[in-house]
Amino acid sequence: MLHFSTRLWCTASCAALLALAGGVRVLGQGLPVAAKADKAAAPGWSPARTADGQPDIEGVWTNSTLTPLERPAELAGKEYLSQQEAADYVKRLLQQVNSDRRDGGTQTDVNRSYNEFWRDRGNNLVADRRTSLIVDPPDGRIPALTPAAQKRVDDARAWMQEHATDGPEGRSLGERCLSWTTAGPPMLPGPYNNDTQIVQGPGYVVILSEMIHDARVIPLDRRPHVDQNIRGWSGDSRGHWEGNTLVVDTTNFIGEYSFRGSDANMHLTERFTRVSPEVLQYEFTVDDPTAFTKPWTARIPFNKTSERVYEYACHEGNYAMTDILAGARAAEKKR
Amino acid sequence: MPKHFRTSLLNAIVAAVSLAAIPLCAQNQPYKGPRTADGKPNLNGIWQAMNTANWDLEGHSAQAGQVVALGATGAEPPGIGVVEGGEIPYLPAAAQKKKENYANRLKLDPEVKCYLPGVPRATYMPYPFQIVQTSKVILISYEYDSAVRTIYMDNPGPAPVDSWMGWSAGHWEGDTLVVDVTGLNDQTWFDRAGDFHSDMLHVVERYTPGAGNVLNYEATIEDPQVFSKPWKIAMPLYKHVEKNAQLLEFKCVEFVEELLYGHLRKQPTK
Repeated sequence: MLHFSTRLWCTASCAALLALAGGVRVLGQGLPVAAKADKAAAPGWSPARTADGQPDIEGVWTNSTLTPLERPAELAGKEYLSQQEAADYVKRLLQQVNSDRRDGGTQTDVNRSYNEFWRDRGNNLVADRRTSLIVDPPDGRIPALTPAAQKRVDDARAWMQEHATDGPEGRSLGERCLSWTTAGPPMLPGPYNNDTQIVQGPGYVVILSEMIHDARVIPLDRRPHVDQNIRGWSGDSRGHWEGNTLVVDTTNFIGEYSFRGSDANMHLTERFTRVSPEVLQYEFTVDDPTAFTKPWTARIPFNKTSERVYEYACHEGNYAMTDILAGARAAEKKR
Repeated sequence: MPKHFRTSLLNAIVAAVSLAAIPLCAQNQPYKGPRTADGKPNLNGIWQAMNTANWDLEGHSAQAGQVVALGATGAEPPGIGVVEGGEIPYLPAAAQKKKENYANRLKLDPEVKCYLPGVPRATYMPYPFQIVQTSKVILISYEYDSAVRTIYMDNPGPAPVDSWMGWSAGHWEGDTLVVDVTGLNDQTWFDRAGDFHSDMLHVVERYTPGAGNVLNYEATIEDPQVFSKPWKIAMPLYKHVEKNAQLLEFKCVEFVEELLYGHLRKQPTK
């Protein structure tokens, strides 16, 4: 039950603390590549139906993977790894992020205060050994930002650096417990809290992300989006079924929410297809012409898990924000 | 006004009042409303309490608010009370603590800090919530603070750890959804009046569909560290029937940053 208690403890108590450990990455116990299929549907297999006739995608799913969103520079031009290359890559990655190492001096050691005990990123690459979660454009990288968006992102970054400890606004949205880059939409694998619960009631799909207890209750009745004036961190989602694929359109994002450079005009399309009893294929396309020079798409397998989703009371346990600001004020006095 | 007209008006009022009383009295009648595919009462929908229980579970008069600048918009509305028997049976020491909570409610009420509301408070906050019902789980998504809870219908075993929204195990008793809630921490309140509990809190909720768009809600509250005996609240919940009804985002964390961290801001240098 080690895994169980780890997740639970982490969920309940280390919310904001882990946010601070951004420098320390991921982990796992050292097993190689996933065995599960995540690409094509198993031949002849079709999902069961829920009581109201939707293809059944209910349950708890995890999108844990070591495969990065963007193709690393050293793998440029290489879309897939061979089995041997994948095993070596995983081994190298796990060594790199091994927080139980003691080399590198005191500061490095302090930065490694969270080891794999606290994380659930897993120890596998996606089963087809693709070198990035991004499948389009083919170079596996997020397309260039438009000049205006690039300036916005650079300005925001510079402001954050300059005001990093002046007040809460200088911290990331995650550290403020307002939103999380992995919680979505769109949903991405992160170091921990990678579980998502899907519940299908008549006319609705609920997508509950364990990261900061975000539940999207998505109507399937083809109603229009809410008024343009109504904005949200999670936007406004509408769903419909295309065969066995749930298609979710999300607009009305809040301007301050930026996903990798996106702005309030982001139109997000997510596609969920259960390709086998154990795998829900998740694909999202970001279309935001004022931010990105072209749309881009990522594909991430969600694997069925017997875990339950636990409460992640991020804000309620956010001692880190107080400590960061109080620490900065104390440091100023010393000067 | 002619006398006979006055009489008939009076009759009409009496009839209207009696009709209005039917939904509450109809609880014991067999339920004839919509059912889900597995034959259970269909609780799916967006619901909301229409009372002032979140201000004070007990009956209370209107009074001035805590923030002068808010004037009438911050005043506390009156309420007839939702506690069976009228009064919460506090143990003597706990009654004293409730008084202190009340006196310091602006500072101490976890709602002011945008903390998760716990159960049963989530139910009667002045925000809608949506029930999404399947045979294995019933998920409730609350608009306030994006709070959410999953009611497991497959006996999830004991609560693994205390949390703000607790650990909910549900089962059907006839046409009533009964939810056993444990694993609640001691950080939440029942209302803005300082009514509180310890981490020994045990709540049993009963959701019984009534006639029309009413869901009758009852919660039995037990906490031997704070109360001399179990006590009960009851209220109808009303369904949102607007065609475009949906939960919107009320992520209040952003709205309390100044309150919680404002005193730690960098002061401008002269």
